[in-house]
Amino acid sequence: MALQIVMDRTGDTRHEFDASDATGVALAEERFRQLTGKGFRAVALGRDGTPGRLLGKFDPNVEETLFIPQLQGG
Amino acid sequence: MEHARNILRDLLHRALSEHGADAPALVDVSIQPASGRIAPRLWVLFANGYSTWAPVRPDDFYTICERYGAWDLLGLRRALLHEGHDLYARMRAEHLAEIERARARRSVAASLLERLRWAGRRRNAAASGREDQLPRRSEVQRRLLEWWAHQRHEYARTAFFAHDFSGEVGSKRAQERGLILLKENLAPDQRQQYDKYGYFDVVGGKSGKRYRIRHGRQMNIEQLDKNGRRVCGWCFYPQGGLVAGDIMLAQKVALELFEADALKIANRF
Repeated sequence: MALQIVMDRTGDTRHEFDASDATGVALAEERFRQLTGKGFRAVALGRDGTPGRLLGKFDPNVEETLFIPQLQGG
Repeated sequence: MEHARNILRDLLHRALSEHGADAPALVDVSIQPASGRIAPRLWVLFANGYSTWAPVRPDDFYTICERYGAWDLLGLRRALLHEGHDLYARMRAEHLAEIERARARRSVAASLLERLRWAGRRRNAAASGREDQLPRRSEVQRRLLEWWAHQRHEYARTAFFAHDFSGEVGSKRAQERGLILLKENLAPDQRQQYDKYGYFDVVGGKSGKRYRIRHGRQMNIEQLDKNGRRVCGWCFYPQGGLVAGDIMLAQKVALELFEADALKIANRF
């Protein structure tokens, strides 16, 4: 199972999908498209806290994708 | 023993920080087993219902198990509760004494301010009469004002970077979720650093520079030089009123994966 983690006011919201299920993958891809369209950055999380990688496009094989809202200066 | 005691001390410190002079009594200490991606946790419960936790590993408890001869969960729980009560009684007494000392310091500062005002009024009144004494008085007043400004600056700086000053938002549950997500994505040494000191260090993915992310939501990033000294501060965070754990994770990921973009947005201080 792959996992999409979206940061929000509740801490985070998690969406699981099966990479072998076409419907689940389509929904996950649509979520990816919508969130990145809103300015979220998608990151493939690394293991054990190692730096992951920035995702420019949806990859169903990524185990955990973290969506970070747009940054602003303080 | 020290590992378990340090974890307990951190948890107890949180309760004292959150409740000031009304620090609640310690009621229970328990260990919750791992569940899914969540590591085993040490929970501490207080009389007013407040509870807090920290992730733990089995080797944190070896020494305490040996000392108390506690080789099952129930025995370990009893041992931890015993240690917790001892530790908490001492910490609570120190905490209350510190509150008293702070109160005394505030009262000294208030009387000093009153003296400054009084000196100002007298100087105005005597401006025409005793000109010869004015330079000395002015010097004293200038020193006092400098001292006062320094105290205010120090207080603001230490209060800002204190572990429990973070302008938390969101429910307790949201804050906990945020911290769980953060800790799941910290390297072991970063997690240890964060648990112990309330900050963790990150290496910039592009520049290789070292940054220190302190517990907080804003103005919590420091750039360090090769000797670990502060070069400057950076402030950037994700939009949306997120909890501290999420913000610190976003800052970590940003510095590691898109450092230049993040610093372009950030304000330097």
